Amino acid sequence: MAIKFQRVPSAQPSVAFAARALAIVLALGVAGLVLAARGNAPVELAWEVLSSTFGSSFGLEDVGLLVTPLILTGLSVWVALRIGAWNIGAEGQFYAGAFSATAVALFIPGPTWLILPVMFTAGALGGLLWILVPTLARAYADVSELITTLLLNFVATLMVYYVATGPWLDPSGHALATTARLPHDVPEFWGIVHYGFPLAILLTFVIAGLLNYTRWGYEVRIAGSNPSAALYAGMPFRRRLIVILLMSGAIAGIAGMLEVAGTVHRLQGGISNNFGYLGIMVAVLARGSSLGVLAGAALMGVILNSGIILQTQGITVSAVLAITGLILFFTAIGNELAHYRITRTEPAAS
Amino acid sequence: MDMIAGLIQTSILAGGVLALAALGETLSERAGVVNLGVEGLMALGAITGIAVVVATPHPMLGFVLALAVGFLVGCVFALGTVVVKANQVLCGLALTLMGTGMAATIGRAYSGMPAPATFAPIAIPYLSDIPLLGRAIFTQNILVYLIYIVLPVVLHYIMFRTRHGLNMRAVGENPAAADAAGISVQSIRFWYVAAGSALAAGAGAYLTLAFVPSWSEGVVAGRGWIAVSLVIFAGYRPLNAVLAALLFGLITSLGFVGQARNWPIAAPILSMLPYLGTIALIIVPVLAWQRMRRVMAAPAALGEPYFRDMR
Repeated sequence: MAIKFQRVPSAQPSVAFAARALAIVLALGVAGLVLAARGNAPVELAWEVLSSTFGSSFGLEDVGLLVTPLILTGLSVWVALRIGAWNIGAEGQFYAGAFSATAVALFIPGPTWLILPVMFTAGALGGLLWILVPTLARAYADVSELITTLLLNFVATLMVYYVATGPWLDPSGHALATTARLPHDVPEFWGIVHYGFPLAILLTFVIAGLLNYTRWGYEVRIAGSNPSAALYAGMPFRRRLIVILLMSGAIAGIAGMLEVAGTVHRLQGGISNNFGYLGIMVAVLARGSSLGVLAGAALMGVILNSGIILQTQGITVSAVLAITGLILFFTAIGNELAHYRITRTEPAAS
Repeated sequence: MDMIAGLIQTSILAGGVLALAALGETLSERAGVVNLGVEGLMALGAITGIAVVVATPHPMLGFVLALAVGFLVGCVFALGTVVVKANQVLCGLALTLMGTGMAATIGRAYSGMPAPATFAPIAIPYLSDIPLLGRAIFTQNILVYLIYIVLPVVLHYIMFRTRHGLNMRAVGENPAAADAAGISVQSIRFWYVAAGSALAAGAGAYLTLAFVPSWSEGVVAGRGWIAVSLVIFAGYRPLNAVLAALLFGLITSLGFVGQARNWPIAAPILSMLPYLGTIALIIVPVLAWQRMRRVMAAPAALGEPYFRDMR
């Protein structure tokens, strides 16, 4: 009897899931080994992280606060991937959304019940405008949206840094490099976790519903898995692509609006906390599943929170980024290996 | 006149970073592999360079060790993308996150420290005495001549004038045909990806040893992504890539000149120039010259893993 590895065109979901789980465990294992080599005690650190995350309501609230933007940036990247496009610019759209929402809050007077929805709309529009040029360039000139969306991240970062240190600097003089505290807050519903959290989950279900149960969503999914088949069937690929990418930008913009209005309350450089890049990780972990976006965001939230807890141990946000990269690398390899099937064949009689 | 000479001198110096990284990416992409990890490789090269010159006063050693680090990391990347044939976009993004994160973590000890030894400019006799622009062009560090003249000419010759180069381009255009002709698709891709990664890391070392020259978190600042865009703009050709890098360097140095001359534009706004310029330069030519699309097109099998038994 001989054992053969055979590659099949689409991976079995259960195998793909196991491969991703293994990738995460392996990456965390490698991170633990590096920590051990640097003289830390990985098991004790892991215990400290787990007990302070899940041991108290405060720990869970911290994670909840981080999961909110991660769901949305993850959803943003995930939506674009449905049609086969890479929105690597969720980071920039996040900044643009936070920027627009802050502009509304600082310069338009009015009661909170009126201004919050305006801020929300402004955030979504900011994200949408930020992806407009890459979208049109991809749709009409076939310029890779991956690179253009990414380059705009740097522009958005600089723009927010500029207004937070220059024209919109807190006039009270107490704060450096940040705007004044915004007069309107997204209300909290559980400890420090604001209503953005349930809103993000709701938005995920709405978009999953659109993609799974409407003709429009069907056409998007077909266009994503086989563009030429979609064109041959007469589906308007370009129009679907434009709408999906603009939607993707708007979702990331909403994430930025909720972060500035619900969590940070001031616009400042570095407000995005790499949420845009971590969103890529969330979308990749989720693969085709919308529930996977929520699960992926929860996982990345716990990992990001662990990094914050371990800051006192000399572990930085950069280390979390490196570990995320390691998980992504192993996941990519796991995704590919999940395509292989082991078959046993009887040797031919000779 | 002084201002223009200064502008050209800075453009050449700034373009060198992009040129070296873009030459590396050209090698990888011509063999059919998109390496989106350039940004991360540059960060690793940058920190390697600075760490070496802090320990020993030899910038050349720092540069060479950065090449070696890039080569090793490139081998790991090639293991994922060429041997296992995993998704190239994902592996590239992973490499960028890993490289950026690792370099920032290691680099905390070196933050803000100026490089104790750097590549000093060398005036080439006679040529640097040419009036007007002679000094600007021919008083540069040794790497500039290597990056702008030696490397692109050698690479152009290998890629377009030798049998081996034809094989390499065939692997990027049509791996199945190359395979049928007896060329090893896997080994060509593996070694060119590793070599390209080495050059990307070298570009990072150039950044901290010749251009900035100090380490700070975020010192790479998207130059890796600009280099990837530049390869597209240059139509995947090494000589074009170097000229394009010079143009991109000019855009970068306009921002420097603006800051030095106190133009009434805020520094962060001037810093946006390279990114906005890059976006414009990859969109506008496609719109303006539709016919150029075919001539400057990407290798046909770019980004696609090659499976022998799939037809």
